[in-house]
Amino acid sequence: MNNSVLDAHALTKTYGETHALAGVDLSIARGESVAIMGASGSGKSTLLHVLAGIIVPDTGAVTYHPATGAPIELSALGESARSRLRRERFGFVFQQGLLIPELTAVENVALASMINGVKRADAVTHAAAWLAALGLAGMEDRRIGELSGGQAQRVAIARAQATGADLVFADEPTGALDSHTSQEVMDALLWSTTGQGRTLLVVTHDADVAARCSRIIAVRDGMVVSAGVSA
Amino acid sequence: MNPNVLALLLRPTKEQTGVVVLPVVAFGVVTALVLTVVGGAQSFWGWTDEFAPLYQALAAIALVLLVVPLTTLGGAAARLSARRRDERLSTLRLLGVTPMGVGIATVIESVIVAAAGAIAGVLAYLLISPLIGLIPFRGAALGLDAVLLRPLGIAAVVGGILVVAAGSSALGLRRVIISPLGVRLRATAAPVHWIRAVIGIAVIAVAFAVVKVFPAVAGLAVTIAVLAATFALALAVLNLVGPWVLKITASRHLRRAQTPERLLAARMVLDSPKAAWRQVNGIAMASFMAVFAGTGVSLINAIGGEAAAASDVALAVDIRTGLIITLVASFLMVAASVGVNQASAVLDQSELHQSLHRLGVPVSTVDRARQRAIMSPLLITALGSALCAAVLVFPLLGIAVIVAPESLLTIGGVLALGIGLVWASTRATAPLLGRSFRAV
Repeated sequence: MNNSVLDAHALTKTYGETHALAGVDLSIARGESVAIMGASGSGKSTLLHVLAGIIVPDTGAVTYHPATGAPIELSALGESARSRLRRERFGFVFQQGLLIPELTAVENVALASMINGVKRADAVTHAAAWLAALGLAGMEDRRIGELSGGQAQRVAIARAQATGADLVFADEPTGALDSHTSQEVMDALLWSTTGQGRTLLVVTHDADVAARCSRIIAVRDGMVVSAGVSA
Repeated sequence: MNPNVLALLLRPTKEQTGVVVLPVVAFGVVTALVLTVVGGAQSFWGWTDEFAPLYQALAAIALVLLVVPLTTLGGAAARLSARRRDERLSTLRLLGVTPMGVGIATVIESVIVAAAGAIAGVLAYLLISPLIGLIPFRGAALGLDAVLLRPLGIAAVVGGILVVAAGSSALGLRRVIISPLGVRLRATAAPVHWIRAVIGIAVIAVAFAVVKVFPAVAGLAVTIAVLAATFALALAVLNLVGPWVLKITASRHLRRAQTPERLLAARMVLDSPKAAWRQVNGIAMASFMAVFAGTGVSLINAIGGEAAAASDVALAVDIRTGLIITLVASFLMVAASVGVNQASAVLDQSELHQSLHRLGVPVSTVDRARQRAIMSPLLITALGSALCAAVLVFPLLGIAVIVAPESLLTIGGVLALGIGLVWASTRATAPLLGRSFRAV
C-alpha cells in the first residue's frame, strides 16, 4: 500500500525569466510533518502553492492520495474542482492568520464547515470544541481584533482542522510571533495535525520551527537540494 | 511637503488605471447632476410672480437633499484614493514624512481626481442640457437658455464640488491609519443605542400632530412651509434612528443565518451599522420625500379637481416633476457611492480574499454576502423611510392611493428603478472582487 499522501513529479513553474520551480520531485508520507526551508526567492512558497493546488505547475504532476478512494491528480483538475478539494480535504494556516475580521472566533472556524454544507448549529458546536482543544475556551465570541497574535493563529489552526482536513499546509505560521508564542503555536499545530494522524507541511524561515518537524526539505533556486530523512 | 515627493506620490501607475477611473466617473456623475439641478433651479430665480418664492424654496430643498449623497461619495472616493496608494504612502511614512504630509498629499490627489471627474461632468452637463431644457414647468418647456448656467456659475459649482471633495477626503482619512507598516481602516465602530429609537418615535409623534393640525388652520403657503420644517425634522430623526434600525435588523438576520453568505452579510452590517447607514442614507431622504411630497402632490391634483385653481394644479405637477428629478439624482449618487465604496472595500481586503481563495472559499459566497450587506440595508432604508413618511401623512396617503394612484405609482416606479440601479452598481464591482480573489 502506498503510504504517500502527496506525490510531486518533475514540477516546473516559471514567472517571466524566473524559474520558481526547476524540476521538483517530492513525496510526503501520511502522518509526517515536513518543513520546507529556503531563502527568500528560493521557490518554497511556490512549491507550497503548487502542492496545495492553489496554482498549477507549467509541467509535472501533483498527486493527492486520500485516505479512502482513488488518487487525484491536482494539476489535471479545473479551478473550481481544485477549490473544492482545498475546501474539503486540505487545511491552511497563514502567517497573519487572515481571519475574517467581522466574524467572531467561533464563526471564523465554523464558516469553513458551513461552506461545505454543514448546518450552522453543528458547525458551531464542532468549531467550539476545536477552539477549546486549542486552549481558547471562553473566547468563542471574541472578534479577531480582540485576540492576541498567538490566539488568532490558534483560531486559524482550528479553522484548518474543523473540516476534517487530512493534510494541512502552513505558510510561515509563526512568522509574525515572538519566540515563546511561536513555540505555543507550533505545539498546537503539531498536536492538531500529526498528533491526530494528519499530515503537516510547513514553509518556514525559522530553523527552530523546522527542527520540530519530522523532516526538513531544503529548497534553493527552485530545486530540492536536500529532502531530509523521516525521524 | 517637497513638490518632487508630492509629484512622485501622485503619479499614477498603469495597474491603477481601473481604480482611478472609478472615482473619476463618480465625481463626473456628481458634477453633471449638481450642474443639472442648479441649472434647473436657476431658471426659477428669474421668476418674480407670487409663486416664485415657493419654487425657489423647493429647488433649494432639492439641492440640500443632494448634499448628503455628495459628501458620502466624496468620502468614499477619498478612502479609495488612500487605499490605492497603500504601499507608497506607507513607504513615505517610513521615510519620515509626517502623517499630516501624507494626509495633505492624499487630499490633493482626491481634489485632482475630483477635478478630472468634474471636467467630464461639465461636458456631460453641456450634452444633456438640451434635454433638460425640454422638461416642462408651469406648462412650458424650461428652454436651453434657462437651464444653461453661465461660465461663472459652472465654475462656482465645480469649485464647490472640489471643496466638498477636499473636505470629505479629510474627513474620510480620519477612518484610515497610514502607518509606516501599512494602511488600514480604524476599527472604531461606535455603539448604536436604543435611545435613538425612543427619540425618533417621540419626534415622529410630534410631527404627526403638527401635520394633522396645520392644514386645517392655515393656507397653502403656510402649510407647505410647516410641512417643509416637519420634513427637515423627520430627516434628522431618520439619521438618528437609521443606524439603530439597521443594527436591530442585522442582529435578527445574524441569529437566523443558516448559510455562510447570510452570516457574513449580517456581520458586515453589524461591524458598523453607522457606516452601513451612511452608505444608503441618501436613499432614506429620497424615499421619505417621495412618499411625503408625492402624497401632497397627488391630493392637490385630485381633491381640488375642477374647483382647484389652475396655478395650484400646475404647482402640483411641477413639484412632482422636481421630485422625480431629485429622486433620480439621489439614486445616481448613491449608486456611484456604493460602487466606489465596494471597490474600496475590495482593495481593503485583498489579502483576506487571497487567503479565502486558497482555502477554497468560492468567490460567489463572498460576492453574495457583500451584495446582501448592501441591498438589505438599502431595502430596509427605502421601505422604512417610506413607511415613516406614510405614518406622517397616513389618512392623506390612503385618499391619494384611491383618488390619484398614478402619481404614487410613478414615484414608486422611480424608487424601484433606483434600487435596481444601486444593485447594478454592486454588480459592476464583481470583476474587481474576482481579480482580488484570483491574485496569488
